[in-house]
Amino acid sequence: MKVVAVTACPTGVAHTYMAQEALEKECQKRGYDIQVETQGSMGIENELEQDVIDEADVVILAVAIRIEGEERFEEKMDMGKVLQIEPADAIKHPSEVLDKAEKL
Amino acid sequence: MANKMRDVLKEIQKAFSTGVSYMLPAVVVGGVFLAISLATGTATDEGMQVTSPFMQNLLDLGSAGFAMMIPILAGYIAYSIAGKPGIAPAMILGYVANNPIGADGVKTGFLGAMILGVAVGLIVKWCKTWKVPNTIKTIMPILIVPIFSVLTIGLLYIYVIAGPIGAAMQWLVSVLGDLQGGNAVLLGLIIGAMTAVDMGGPINKTATAFTLALMAEGIYGPNGAHRIAVAIPPLAMAVSTFIDRKKYAADDRDLGISAFFMGLIGITEGAIPFAVKDIKRVLPAIIIGSAVGGGLGMLTAVEALVPHGGLIILPVVNNKLWYVISMFVGVLVSVLILHFTKPNLAETGKGKQQKKNAEPSIEVTK
Repeated sequence: MKVVAVTACPTGVAHTYMAQEALEKECQKRGYDIQVETQGSMGIENELEQDVIDEADVVILAVAIRIEGEERFEEKMDMGKVLQIEPADAIKHPSEVLDKAEKL
Repeated sequence: MANKMRDVLKEIQKAFSTGVSYMLPAVVVGGVFLAISLATGTATDEGMQVTSPFMQNLLDLGSAGFAMMIPILAGYIAYSIAGKPGIAPAMILGYVANNPIGADGVKTGFLGAMILGVAVGLIVKWCKTWKVPNTIKTIMPILIVPIFSVLTIGLLYIYVIAGPIGAAMQWLVSVLGDLQGGNAVLLGLIIGAMTAVDMGGPINKTATAFTLALMAEGIYGPNGAHRIAVAIPPLAMAVSTFIDRKKYAADDRDLGISAFFMGLIGITEGAIPFAVKDIKRVLPAIIIGSAVGGGLGMLTAVEALVPHGGLIILPVVNNKLWYVISMFVGVLVSVLILHFTKPNLAETGKGKQQKKNAEPSIEVTK
């Protein structure tokens, strides 16, 4: 399975990256491909290109603020393939999040 | 219907978080530069006077940071709701909220900016749903949306909101005037509460104007209460992050350190980021704490001789011991309230895990 995700928290120095790490670890454990874009206080890092998003099976938006470039995910949203959660959810129980994402 | 209401509230909460996220660097620049430069100043009748030209320049840079912070907050609240076209109109109106406007020169500070940010966001979002011919479509974002949103929300604010607020402020001043000479402790409580309720907004500034007017008559007690209360919100938030480490994320704890220094130096605005993030718990706590501090200051006849707050003015305070004690007690009260009202981050996490198949939702507190 191919997963892409965006993480972003209000302050953008801690939770953004903790959520990234948690999602990456969980996917590694399950043998999924994952690419996580972070939108911390330094702006967009590890940006997701449109073709990468199009190829993904599921999108996880672990965001507490409005992110930049939300329109990239519009198509996936119409397909119902976007899971919207809080960064804290991804940090605390990544496996539940992935379970949910699988079912989409 | 209830669901829809919750979605709107969720959207607004997300908008506030987005606004804070973009505002923070400006708060830090303002707070740090002001703190450093004011610490070198001397306390005079006109407030803290910075004598060194270099420090004066630093002070100006810090003031610019604080002046920008409110427009940025409003701008990115609207951005969160309406996207790019919301930014500029809301920044303009955020600036309006933070500066005197209308016949009474009303200023509504960060609370006004939050409301205007949401209002602009909603109206711009609505504009985006308009079905317009293609020829007009091209001029929508650069001409019609900004002019329409600033004009409608701006005029609504000036005529419908700012007017009554101005009248309310004048009423407050007369009430305070009646209390002066009467019930000193009650006056202290009210001044303290007013100081914290909007942290630099119209109510706070009314308290300032009132105490300044009394200082001109040689009455320094209410100013003492006000100056005690000024320091309590940021100090209380700082101490709360020091003590209740489980209730704050790492980034908020770092913010606590800068709030601590802003508190010492009498910059109430240091508590604003905490208040915007969690207004229903933070605001009552700091209002009550500041009221207690102000009341205690009046009760023990503390007098501050300069129009500035925090511990840096200690040399020009009469009854120094009670000045410090009142401040300390006020901080303690706020911290205690926060201790009981703010949830532990870890506990909410555990509670989540116990619920099987709990839906990942916004209920987890960051």
